[in-house]
Amino acid sequence: MIEELFAIEEESYRDSIVHRLDARVKLILTIAAIIAVVSYPFEPDLYLVSGGFLLLLIILFGLSKTAVKTYLIRLAMILPFGFFIIVAQIFFKNPRYTEFTVLIDLPFGIAVYQESFLFALMLSLKFIVCVSFIILLSGTTPMQDLLEGAARLGLPAEFTLVLGMTIRYLFVFAIMYRHIQNALATRCFSAYNRALPYRYRISTIAYTIGTFFLRSFEQGERTYMSMLCRGYGRSSYIYITKKPLASTDRLVLGMIMPFIIIFPIIIYLL
Amino acid sequence: MHIPDAFMPIWQGGIYWIIALIFIFLALKWARNELTEDKIPMVAVLSAGIFAIQAFNLPVGFGTSGHLVGGALVAILLGSPYAAVFVLTLVLIIQGVIFGDGGLTTMGANILNMGVIGGFIGYYSYWGLHQATKKVYLSAAIAAWLACFISALACAVMMWLAGTFPLVPGLVAMGTYHALIGIVEGAITAGAIYLLLQARPEFSDAVTGVNAA
Repeated sequence: MIEELFAIEEESYRDSIVHRLDARVKLILTIAAIIAVVSYPFEPDLYLVSGGFLLLLIILFGLSKTAVKTYLIRLAMILPFGFFIIVAQIFFKNPRYTEFTVLIDLPFGIAVYQESFLFALMLSLKFIVCVSFIILLSGTTPMQDLLEGAARLGLPAEFTLVLGMTIRYLFVFAIMYRHIQNALATRCFSAYNRALPYRYRISTIAYTIGTFFLRSFEQGERTYMSMLCRGYGRSSYIYITKKPLASTDRLVLGMIMPFIIIFPIIIYLL
Repeated sequence: MHIPDAFMPIWQGGIYWIIALIFIFLALKWARNELTEDKIPMVAVLSAGIFAIQAFNLPVGFGTSGHLVGGALVAILLGSPYAAVFVLTLVLIIQGVIFGDGGLTTMGANILNMGVIGGFIGYYSYWGLHQATKKVYLSAAIAAWLACFISALACAVMMWLAGTFPLVPGLVAMGTYHALIGIVEGAITAGAIYLLLQARPEFSDAVTGVNAA
């Protein structure tokens, strides 16, 4: 995952209408859309709701000039655990249903059920919509802007400072991680090389991780000392300037937010 | 083990968020009291390191791989389960918001699984085993295994409560896979603690309660 860090940050610094939107607007819309999709019951109408949200996503991704390949690569990185659960669904009788129709009869008493298959389909639609909103958010908003946006929306200052430092040092450790991987590769070490004794592979990784922990801890100490030298102390606080939303931000929020709230309600009531 | 959005009803996600927020509040309180408020940034930097540590692939066997969760490692080395809650909350927020690994509505559940359950099981089982055996590395390895295994079982129970996965197959699948990953996590945790105690003996205060010398 850490290998993606630089690519995501680079992507977020590109320029487009979506990139230029205030981070608060994108945060609010993302959270609202995810809550709306997650809250919608697992009923056939969900296809229509998901379709509406996917259409919105296509428009926003189009406006953000995000390459389809970039989106698909990021989606592929996120899918595995969710995909495993979704695929496994079809083999079990889902508790939401009382009657089941066998779609495919497999050996050893295993069967694919029609109702569970439909549930898996609905679950995968919800999952893809939610994940796509996150990809759009992080792909069009630099991490620092996201943090400042969250702070302006009420994230406690204490937490903003801590999270800001974590984000800042992510990049330091991502570079360190690359260097370590290069060093291991130079020594022809691979954790998956079966020619090497398993115990040796595990101890090498353990010492590497131990060293990494130590370097992180010592980096933390150095950072803390540096901060003290620069006036940081118990009474220090983070100050984020007030920033009113621009008219474009208000317009986008005013157009998309009602859609996110009203569209699923209308579909549900119809 | 990261539960994504949509895999849990919104109200259940809300309940887990409330429980997680209570532990986050307690973790912040711990940080203020035990680390002194000034030192909180140090843990923030360490969290970034733990995020990177989670990127190392561990060969589990049978063609599969896993990665370290690190809750037990952090709790043992920093001497408190709240350290794990603090660090893993930061890591999970970044994973959820930036990378889409785990969800926003399910983040409370993920913090509860990996930070709270992992941290508390890791710390207190280490503490109990160390009291009984006086063996640092064996205790750390078993504690890390338990933290990984029980967190996975808790995840399976949450998925069952959410109606997303049946209980018994979930417990068997998650339990078996994480029992294997847990062995590697235990070995790595013990090895990392060994290296740290050699390099920085002052860590033994937290690990054993006495000076290494």
